[in-house]
Amino acid sequence: MSKEYLTREISRRQLLKLGVGLVGVTAVSAVVPKALLKPYKVVEASPDVQPARQTAGAGTYRHYAATDGWVYLPGQNLPYHPDNLAPDGLTTYIFGFRNVTSIEDDHDKVFQQKMKAQLTSPMFWLDEWRDTASQGETDFTLRLTNLGLQMRPDLIDAHTLHFHGFRNAIPIFDGEPHSSVGVPISRDLTYFYRARDPGTYMFHCHFEETEHVHMGMVGGVFVRPKQNYLGFGGDPTSAARLGGNTAPGAPMGYAYNDGDGSTAYDREFAFVVSEVWTLAHWCDSHVQLPEWSDYNPDIYMMNGRAYPDTIAPNGGAIDSATGDLIPPAGRPELQYQPISSLVTCNSGDRVLLRFINLGYVEQSFRLTGIKMRVVGHDATLLRGRGPAGNDQNYFTDTVHVGAGQSVDAIFVAPEVDTMTRLLLFSRNFSHLSNPGIAGHGGPMTEVHIYPTSQPLGPQNEPNEWGL
Amino acid sequence: MRSSRLSRIVLLLSLLLLVVPRSNGIVTAGHEDMPPHGIVCTENPTATFTLTTQEGTISLPDGNRVYMWGFSEGGDPFQHPGPTLCVTEGDTVTIVLNNTLSHDVSIIFPGQEGVLADGVPSEPVFDVGGNLTSFAPVAAANGGAVTYSFVAAKPGTYLYESGTEPGIQVNMGLFGALVVRPAAHPNWAYNEIVASGAVTYTTEFAPDEEFVLIFSEIDPVLHMAVEQGLPYDMNNFTPRYWNINGRSFPDTIAPNGAEWLPEQPYGSLIHINPYDVDTHPYPALIRILSVGSESFPHHPHGNHSRIIARDGSVLIDTDQSDLSYERFTVNLGPGQTVDEMFAWTDVENWHPIDNPIPVVIPQLQNLTFGTFYSGSPYLGQTDLLPVGHQALNSCGEYYHIAHNHALQQITAWGVVLSGHITFTRIDPPLPNNCQ
Ligand SMILES: [Cu+2]
Ligand SMILES: [Cu+2]
Repeated sequence: MSKEYLTREISRRQLLKLGVGLVGVTAVSAVVPKALLKPYKVVEASPDVQPARQTAGAGTYRHYAATDGWVYLPGQNLPYHPDNLAPDGLTTYIFGFRNVTSIEDDHDKVFQQKMKAQLTSPMFWLDEWRDTASQGETDFTLRLTNLGLQMRPDLIDAHTLHFHGFRNAIPIFDGEPHSSVGVPISRDLTYFYRARDPGTYMFHCHFEETEHVHMGMVGGVFVRPKQNYLGFGGDPTSAARLGGNTAPGAPMGYAYNDGDGSTAYDREFAFVVSEVWTLAHWCDSHVQLPEWSDYNPDIYMMNGRAYPDTIAPNGGAIDSATGDLIPPAGRPELQYQPISSLVTCNSGDRVLLRFINLGYVEQSFRLTGIKMRVVGHDATLLRGRGPAGNDQNYFTDTVHVGAGQSVDAIFVAPEVDTMTRLLLFSRNFSHLSNPGIAGHGGPMTEVHIYPTSQPLGPQNEPNEWGL
Repeated sequence: MRSSRLSRIVLLLSLLLLVVPRSNGIVTAGHEDMPPHGIVCTENPTATFTLTTQEGTISLPDGNRVYMWGFSEGGDPFQHPGPTLCVTEGDTVTIVLNNTLSHDVSIIFPGQEGVLADGVPSEPVFDVGGNLTSFAPVAAANGGAVTYSFVAAKPGTYLYESGTEPGIQVNMGLFGALVVRPAAHPNWAYNEIVASGAVTYTTEFAPDEEFVLIFSEIDPVLHMAVEQGLPYDMNNFTPRYWNINGRSFPDTIAPNGAEWLPEQPYGSLIHINPYDVDTHPYPALIRILSVGSESFPHHPHGNHSRIIARDGSVLIDTDQSDLSYERFTVNLGPGQTVDEMFAWTDVENWHPIDNPIPVVIPQLQNLTFGTFYSGSPYLGQTDLLPVGHQALNSCGEYYHIAHNHALQQITAWGVVLSGHITFTRIDPPLPNNCQ
C-alpha cells in the first residue's frame, strides 16, 4: 500500500518540476522585462577616500531594511547562472538587508532601496552591558523595516531578524516568527538587545528560513567585552583603545573577558561564510521552488564574494543624494557586495579572525605559513568553568566551523621586510573554484603583511584595510 | 503550503494542550503510561529486554507513509525508533533479539565493552570465503534469535543499532537509545564532580526535565527498494526526510504516545521551567544521538547548551578539571552522542509595569503573529491577538525553536519548515496556571 503511494508521490513531483516549471519561466520572463529593472548606479568612491562604511548611526541604534536585489558572482552554470533576468553586469538574485540608518528621516529614500539588498548583510556590533549607570551607552536597538520583494510581488513574505546565539533571549526579540512576531511589508519592528555575554555571533532572517537564509539574509554580530573599558586584573590602564584607552601600545580590543589579556588584538576581520546554489536563486527569480533535499551549492563565498573578488576593496558608503550604496573603487559590479575579506596587518600585529558560518555545509579554513590560536567558539571563551577554569585554547592551521557556528582565532603577524602574502582559504578544495571557469575561486582570501616601516592606519571598523 | 502546515500545527497543539500534566518522567513502556513530554524509559529490575524486529510504516508531514523496520519490546507492535532502554551502572544487561524479518539482523552496542553473544564474545562474522557478513553474530532471518549481554560499566548515553547491512538496516529504523544511570545518583548524568578552586560542579539535572533526541534521516527510495525486495546501491543514498525521535516537525512537538502517531511514540518537545536558585536550581538534561550519515548542526534558540559528555564519556580531565563547554550549535557527527545541560534564565525580569521592555511593540495590524505567541512579550502574561488568530499558548509561556542549522534539512521532500525542528517550551515560574 505504502509502496504504491510512494510511487505516486515521486511522479507528482517530477511532473511539477518538469511541467509547471517551464510554464512558470515563460510567464515571468514575459511579465518582467529587463527594462523595468533599475540600472545600478555608476558613482564610484574615489580610491583615496576611506568610506565611512557602516558607521552611519553607529553606537546604540541601527535601522535595517529587508528587501531583494541583485549581485555579481563569477562563473557560469547555464541556464541558472548568470540569471537571464539579472540587470546588466549582475548575475544573481538575492534577499538581504541594508543599513538605512543615515537616510531614515527620508521615508521615500528608504523605500527607494527596495531591490537594493546587499550580500552579505551589514555587520553590527555592540558593547557588553557594564553596569546600570552605563547601560544608556550599551543598550542597543535595531529597527527593521520590510520593504517587500520587487521581483516577487506575488510573495507577501514577512521578515525578521534573529540574533543567533543571544543567551537567555526572550521570544519577542528572537525573530523566530512562530514563537513571536514577523514584520509584514511596509511595516517595522524595533528589536532590543542588552548584551551580557561577549563574543562572535551572527544574525539572519528566520521567516521561511531555508529560503530566506540561503537567499542571503545573513550577517555577523559581535558583542565587545567590558574588559575593553575596565581592563583586567583590576588595572584600568590595561583597557583597550575601543574602551577609550589612548595610551600607545594599548590593544585595539579584547575578544573576551579573558582576565589576562590573552585575547588582545590589534586588527579585526570577520568572515561570514555562505553558499549559493545557483539553481535555487534562479528558481526564486523565476517563481519556482527548488527541492531543498537536492541541495547542491555551486558557489562558496566569504562575505558574499568569491575569490578573487574577496580581496577587492571595501565599499558600502551611502550616496546621500539617493541613499544607494557607492560601489567599491573600480568595481561597479560589487556595489551590493561591499565587504572585503582582505586581511591587512603589520608585523607584530595580533590579528583577530572571526569566522561565522551561515552556509548549510561545514567548512575548514586554513591559514598557510603560520599558526592561528583558537580562543573562542560560539561566543564562548575556551576556558573551563569557575575560579580555576583551565585554559582550553589551542593552536592550529585549520579552523573547523560547522553550519551555524562561529570561531574566533588570533594570529601574530611575523616579521617581514617587504609586503608578504599568505593565503587563507577553505581547505575543501572542491569549493575553491568558480563554476564553469578555470582558475582559483570560492572562499579564499589573502593576508597582506606589511613591514613596520609601512604602518597601516588604525581600523575604525572591522575589515578596514588602513592602506 | 504554509497555511496547511500551520493548520497541522494548530491540530497538534490544540491536542497537546489537552493532555494531562507531566508526571515524574520515568515509566515503563506502554503508551497509556507515558508522560506527555520527556524521556520514556523502558526498564525493568533485571535489565533484561526482548527486542523483536517488526515491520511497519510511519507517517511524515507531506502525507507520505514510509515502510520501516523496527525493534519492539517483547510482543509490542511495531514502533519507531526502538524503545529507550534505561539501566543502572553495574547492571548486567541482557537483550534477547528475536528476528521476524526476512533478513539476518544483529545488534551492536557502541560504547559497551565485553559484549557477549550467546555467551561468547560478540565479534564480527565472516563467511567461509573470509568476507565480512555482519559486525556481530546475527539472529537469522525468519525466526532466529540471539542473546546479547554486557555489564553497563559506565553511565552515559549510547546507541544500539543494527550491525548487519547497517547502511540499509539503520536507515530502515533498526536503532534506539540506551541510557545508563549512575548507581549512586540517578538524577546525575555522570558520577564525576568538577573541581574549580573552591567551587564544584556536578551533572545533577531536574528529574522531570530529561530528554532524548535521536536525529535520523530517511531515503524513501531505499525503503521502497527494501519493501519490494529490490537491490539498493548505497552510493545513491539521498535523504529526503530528517526526523527527531522518528518524527518530522510539526509531529516532533506532539506529546509522547500521541494517538494519531501510533507507530511513532516519542515526542521531542523540551518542556522546562526557568532557572531559579531556590525553586528550580538544576538544568534540563538533553541526551542527543545521531544515526545519520553526515554532521547535523543542532541549534537551540534561547540559550547555549553546556556539553558535558560526548559518546558516553564525561568531559572532565584526569585532574578533575573542567573540559565541558558551551555551544550555540552542536555539530553532531554520524553515530555520535552528546549530553548537554540546558537552562534558561529570566535575566532581565521584564515586567509590564515594574520593568517594561524599552521599545514599543507595534499594534496588532502591523505584525504577523506566530502560533505559539501569547500576545505579550512578558513571561507569564497573555495579551490581545488578532481576531481569528489561532493562539496555542496556555499561560504566557515562552517557546523557542531548536533546529538543525543545515537548513535544507528542516524540510520534508517539498514541505518546508519540517524535518529536524523541535521547540523548547519555558513555563512561567511555579506556581503557575499552565496546562
Ligand atoms: Cu526574510
Ligand atoms: Cu541561526
